[in-house]
Amino acid sequence: MKKIITLFALFTVLFVSAQTQFEQGMGKAFGLWKEGKNTEASQLFERIAAAEKTSWLPNYYVALVNTTASFSEKDKTKVSLMLTKAQDVLDVEMIKDQSNSELYVLQALIYTAYVVMDPMTNGMKYSSKVMEAYAKAKAIDPNNPRAVFGEADYQLGGAKWTGVDTKPLCAQVNKAIELFGTFKPETQFSPKWGLERALETQKTCK
Amino acid sequence: MKTKITFILLLMSAFTFAQNIVSGKVVDQKGKPVAGANIYIDGTYDGTSSSETGDFSFETTEVGNKTLVVSFLMFETFSKEIDVANYKDQIVKLKENVNTLDAVVITAGNLESGDKARVSVLKPLDIVTTAGSAGNIIAALQTLPGTQSVGEDGRLFVRGGEASETQTFVDGVRVAQPYGATTNNLPTRGRFSPFLFSGISFSTGGYSAEYGEALSSVLLLNTQDEADHNKTDISLMTVGLGLGNTQKWNKSSLSVNAAYINLAPYQAVIPQNVDWNSPYQSLSGETVYRYHFVNGTFKLYAAFDSERFDLNQKNVNFVDPVRTDMNNNNFYLNASYKGTIGTGWQLTSGVSYGYNNSKIKYNLSDLDSRENAAQLKLKLRKNVSDHFKLSFGTDYFITKYNEDFNDNVSINAVTGYDSNIFAAYTEGDVLFSKNLALKVGLRFSNNSLLDESRLAPRASIAYKVSKGGQFSFAYGDFSQTPVVDYIKYSKFHQFESERASHYILNYQYTKPGLTFRAEAYYKDYRNLVQYDTKDIQYNSVFNNNGSGYAKGLDLFWRDSNLYKNLEYWISYSYIDSERQYKNFPTMATPNFIANHNLSVVTKYFITDWKSQIGFTNTFATGRPYNDPNQTQFMSGKTKSYNSLSFNWAYLLTTQKIIYFSVSNILGTQNVFGYDYAKTPDAAGVYNRQAVVPTADRFFFVGFFWTISQNKNENQLKNL
Repeated sequence: MKKIITLFALFTVLFVSAQTQFEQGMGKAFGLWKEGKNTEASQLFERIAAAEKTSWLPNYYVALVNTTASFSEKDKTKVSLMLTKAQDVLDVEMIKDQSNSELYVLQALIYTAYVVMDPMTNGMKYSSKVMEAYAKAKAIDPNNPRAVFGEADYQLGGAKWTGVDTKPLCAQVNKAIELFGTFKPETQFSPKWGLERALETQKTCK
Repeated sequence: MKTKITFILLLMSAFTFAQNIVSGKVVDQKGKPVAGANIYIDGTYDGTSSSETGDFSFETTEVGNKTLVVSFLMFETFSKEIDVANYKDQIVKLKENVNTLDAVVITAGNLESGDKARVSVLKPLDIVTTAGSAGNIIAALQTLPGTQSVGEDGRLFVRGGEASETQTFVDGVRVAQPYGATTNNLPTRGRFSPFLFSGISFSTGGYSAEYGEALSSVLLLNTQDEADHNKTDISLMTVGLGLGNTQKWNKSSLSVNAAYINLAPYQAVIPQNVDWNSPYQSLSGETVYRYHFVNGTFKLYAAFDSERFDLNQKNVNFVDPVRTDMNNNNFYLNASYKGTIGTGWQLTSGVSYGYNNSKIKYNLSDLDSRENAAQLKLKLRKNVSDHFKLSFGTDYFITKYNEDFNDNVSINAVTGYDSNIFAAYTEGDVLFSKNLALKVGLRFSNNSLLDESRLAPRASIAYKVSKGGQFSFAYGDFSQTPVVDYIKYSKFHQFESERASHYILNYQYTKPGLTFRAEAYYKDYRNLVQYDTKDIQYNSVFNNNGSGYAKGLDLFWRDSNLYKNLEYWISYSYIDSERQYKNFPTMATPNFIANHNLSVVTKYFITDWKSQIGFTNTFATGRPYNDPNQTQFMSGKTKSYNSLSFNWAYLLTTQKIIYFSVSNILGTQNVFGYDYAKTPDAAGVYNRQAVVPTADRFFFVGFFWTISQNKNENQLKNL
C-alpha cells in the first residue's frame, strides 16, 4: 500500500511537472514572439518540439513564426531559408496527421509567402496550391475561421488586377469574422490568430 | 508515512532542479562568431540562442552525459555528447552546410530555367510571353546568348554548330525527332507544347557525361511532376483551335492536349512570298500521366502529330516553280521512373520510342522516309556525403532508318541504316566547400554501325569569388554519329564519328532581380565528314578528315529592378568560326554563322490595363554565302538581319485572356542567303535567287479560356 501511494505520488509529481514544463516553455516562447524576438521564439519552439514529439503545436509555431516573419524580411536568401525551415517542420507534422485543418491553413500561408517573395516567378505556380490547401482545410473543418478568411483574403489580394468580383469574397470575410466569434480553441496554445487581420480586411471591403 | 512521502518529494524536486551551467561560444570555420544559433540539450527545453558575439550560456537541470545540439540555418547541425556539469567556455565550431542555396554551382555552358534552377535565365512563363516566340520553346531559346538566328531553318544552331549537333531530351531520355516537318528553307518549330514542362536546361557546351551523341549542345526538358488541378483549357486562334483537360486524383494525374492548326486564314491576310497549294495544317496531341509512389514518380509522356502542306517555290535551276507536297506523321512515347532506393541512392530509368514518317513529293518524284528510334536508360546516383556524389549509368540507342526515293521515271533508290549505340558513364561531384565545386566524368560508347569505341572525358570546376560572383570552367570531349544524309550511305563507306572538344570559361554575377553572365569559349572540331560532289550521293567519295573551330564571347544581362513592372534581358554573342567540311574547298565560315547576334527582350505589365505588352528585337550581322561567279569561296555576305516583334496580352477575367502578336512589325525585308544556279547561263554567269522568309510578317490573335473550380487559376500562364 505504502509503495503504491509512493508510486502514485511520484507519478503525479512527474506528470504535473511535465505539464507545467510544457506550459511554461510554450508561455515563454509566446512571450519572446510577442516581444518581436522571432529567432529566439522559433528556437525555443524548436527545442520544445524536439522534446515533445507527441504535440503538433511546437512545430506548428516554428512554422508560423518563420512564415509570418518572412513577410517583413527583405533579404530573399533569408526569406527562402525561413520558408524552407517552416516547410520542413510542417512536413514533419503533416506526415503524422493529415486531417488537421490548421496544418493546411499554415501550408497555404507558406505558399502565400512564396508568392509575396517573388510574384512574377511564383505567382502562377503557387496560386493554385494556395487555393488547394485552403480547400483542404475547409473540407476538414468548414467552420475554421482561418481557412474561410485566408481563402477570401488571398483572392482579394489579387483582385486588383485579376478583376475578380469582390462582393462574394467580402461576404466570406464577414462569415469568417462570425466564425471567429464562436471559435473555441481546443487548448490554451491551440491556434486562435486571425481576427485582427480579418477586421482590417473587412474595413477595406466597404 | 507522511514524512517519508514528503521527503521523497523533496528529494525528487531537489534532484530535478539541480542546476548546471553550460556555456561557450559558437564560431564558423574561420573562427568568426555565429550569432543566433540554437543551442540546447537534446530532448529537453534547456537551451538558448547565441548572442551577437557568438557566446551562449544556459542553466540546465539535467545531469550526467547528455547530447548538446547546436543548429543554425546555413550550417551543418553539430551534436556532441557532453558532461553537463563540466561543459563551460567551450568553443563550438560549425561547418558550413555545402548544400545551402548560396553554394557554388557549375554554370559554364549551362542556361537554366524553371523552379529547380538556382539561377534561372528564363522563367517558365517566358517561353510563352516572349514576343516573337509564339509558344515555341525553340524560338524563346533563340533569344539567349550562344545561339544563331537562322530564319530559314528555325532549329537551334549553337556556337558554330549545325542544328543536328543539338540533342533534345525529355525527362532525361532522348527525342530522336524534336522538330516538326520541314523542307527547303521553310522554318520549323519545336514539337513540344511549353505548358507541360516545368524546367528547361539548355547547355551550350561542356555538358555532363550523362549525355552523348551531341557535338554542340543538349536541351533538357522536364515534364511537370504534378498537375495543378482539374481544369479544361479552350483556345481559339486565328490559326486554329486547341483543347486541353487535366484530371488530378490522389496519387496520379492525367493531362491531355489536342490542337488543330491551319494557316489558311493567316496566309490569306498576309502577303506570302511562296505560292501555297494547300496551307500548313497540323493535328497534334500530347498526354502526360503521372503516378506517385511512396518513394518515386512514374511518368508517361506521349505525343502524336500529323502535318501537311503543299506549295510551289521558285527555284533558280528551273523555269517553273518546284512543287513540294509534304506529309509527316510523328509519334513519341517516353516512360520514366525516378525514385529513391535505400539510403542516399537515387534511381532514374527511362525508355523512349520515336517514329517518324515523311512522305514528300517534289514535282513528280517521291521521297518516303521512316525512322524508328528507341532509347533505354538507367542511371544511379549515390549521395556518399554532403561533399561527394557519385553517379553512373548506361544508355542504349537503337535507330532504324529507311528511305525510298523514286523519281517515277528511271531512278528508284532505297537507302537506310541500322545503328546501335551502347554507352556507359560515371561522374563524380565534389563540393570541397561552399565556394569550390568540381565535377569529373567519363563516357564510354560503342557504335556498332561505325564499328568504333570511344572514351570521352568531361570536367568542370566552379569557384565562388564573392557573394554573387563566381567563375566556372568546363572542358569536354564530344562525339556524334554523322547525320542521316551521310550514314544512309553506310553501305558504300565506313564512316567515323565526328568529334569536338569544348573549353569554356564563364563568369556569372547574380543578385536579386539581376543576372549577368559572360562566357568565352573555344571549340575544336575534327573528324568532320567531307565529300567531293556537288550534292551528297551514294557514289560520292567520303572521308572523315574535315576540321574546324569556333571561338567567341557570349554576354547575357537580365534585370527586373530598373523600372517597376518592367523585365528585360539583353543577349549578345560574338563568334568567329571556320570549317572545312562537306564539299568546302578551303576553310571557310559556314553560311549559318553571323559574327554578331543581339537580342533585346522586354516585358512590361500595365496593371490598370490588365495587360502585358512586350517587344523583342533580334539583330544579326550578315551571313556568308558562296557566289560561284567569284573565285574566292564563300566570299559573299548578306545584309544584316533585323526583326522587331510585339505582343499584347489582355486579361479579360482571371480565366479568359486575349492575346495578340505580330512578328517583324517594321516589315524589314530580310535575306538569309542566296541560292545559285548549278550551271551558268549562256553568258557564263551563275544566276541567283535570294532565300527569304515565306512571309515578312506573322500575326496571331488568340482567345484562351480556362474552366476550373478554382476561380483564381490564372490564364496568364497560357499566354
